Amino acid sequence: MLVNLDPKDGRPLYLQIMDEVRRAVVLGTLRAEDPLPSVRELAAELAVNPRTVSQAYQELERESVIYVRRGQGTFVSPTVRRGAVERRSLAAAVAKRALLDARRNGLSAEELVMTIQKLAAREDV
Amino acid sequence: MSGVPETFAVATHGLSMRYGRETALADVDLRVPEGSVYVLIGANGAGKSTAMKVLLNLERPDAGRAEVFGLDTGAHGPEVRAQVGYIPESHEPDYPWMTCGRLLRHVAAHYPAWDHAYAAQLVDVFGVRLDRKIGTLSKGETRRLQFVLALAHRPPLLLLDEPTDGLDPLMRNRTLAQLAEHLADSPTTVMIATHHVAEVESLADHVGVLREGRLVAEMTRDDLRRTVLRYRVEVPEGWQPPPELRIAGLRRSPGGREVQGTLVGEESDVTARFTAAGAAVRDVTPLTLEEAALALLAEEGTP
Repeated sequence: MLVNLDPKDGRPLYLQIMDEVRRAVVLGTLRAEDPLPSVRELAAELAVNPRTVSQAYQELERESVIYVRRGQGTFVSPTVRRGAVERRSLAAAVAKRALLDARRNGLSAEELVMTIQKLAAREDV
Repeated sequence: MSGVPETFAVATHGLSMRYGRETALADVDLRVPEGSVYVLIGANGAGKSTAMKVLLNLERPDAGRAEVFGLDTGAHGPEVRAQVGYIPESHEPDYPWMTCGRLLRHVAAHYPAWDHAYAAQLVDVFGVRLDRKIGTLSKGETRRLQFVLALAHRPPLLLLDEPTDGLDPLMRNRTLAQLAEHLADSPTTVMIATHHVAEVESLADHVGVLREGRLVAEMTRDDLRRTVLRYRVEVPEGWQPPPELRIAGLRRSPGGREVQGTLVGEESDVTARFTAAGAAVRDVTPLTLEEAALALLAEEGTP
């Protein structure tokens, strides 16, 4: 799993880390029972506050995306599926960004959805 | 968060200090929660370094007092300094004739908590050459040695004054990563004084802003993200912001139908005030720590 953070994103870093983990699960680069980097490793790799990583992991644990095995580390839940819940929350995050961008440009949600459908129907996009 | 009362690693009460006619600190009440990474932002000469020196009892305030872990810094200087890893703003080393190795042994002897294995690892990470004479070190090399000295006894409080000053970009990244790792391993409160805000953006969870010796803002990073925002607003031609809307970095579009600027306050409240002033908020964007700091440093941006 590779985690990229964008300080310009504006969302708290722990949310960005959560989305990066979800993305890895949806793409299949993280699978059930795969180990996640330790809080210490990921904090050092990203040069972020370890508390931020802990917060992201705690939230993901609450959502049953990952679980902690005492003394062994953090792992992807055995029940995690590449479809289901993770896809939906990832889609929600992507949609939210698009909506925000649309609003910023004075476009309505309807205009955005229609345009996406039109573009998706074309083969070159 | 919760109703649990916070304990503060650092607290100052009405701290004031002048150098001749210059005001260094004016009635400053700092609150640095235990375990936080607190970045103190301010222009050159805003009082950041003075505040840190008072915490170490290296300077005596004209008025007010400071506490580190509940100890009065004026009365307990040595006890306080034993609990602090300090990187001074200055790169002037104290013992120019000593080798780096000799200084490390010398300092290690002062700290019962000195972790020899960790010190050796830090020497490696920071590329400190033990046989070099301290007086011959460059600015960056001195900084790297200072980091080893500050971290190796795993002090409960780190006071870092412009810590990345003099470091090349590669070493800067390595230093920030090492700091993150250090925080994961040892419970530490960190106070960083800097004007290179972007560098510590992803480490900081608390922010204080000093302007001309006054603490004009102090809040969590989350509160800062929520309450310091950039607004793009549609306005009637010739619109002038009413005095109760304090807009920092105000920009107007050619034609004057759109203005943009940074405001401090709850988003719903600011939006309502714009509406009441005959303007319509079109776009609200969160800011980077550096952008938010700039807005707070600008006079018109603060409430």
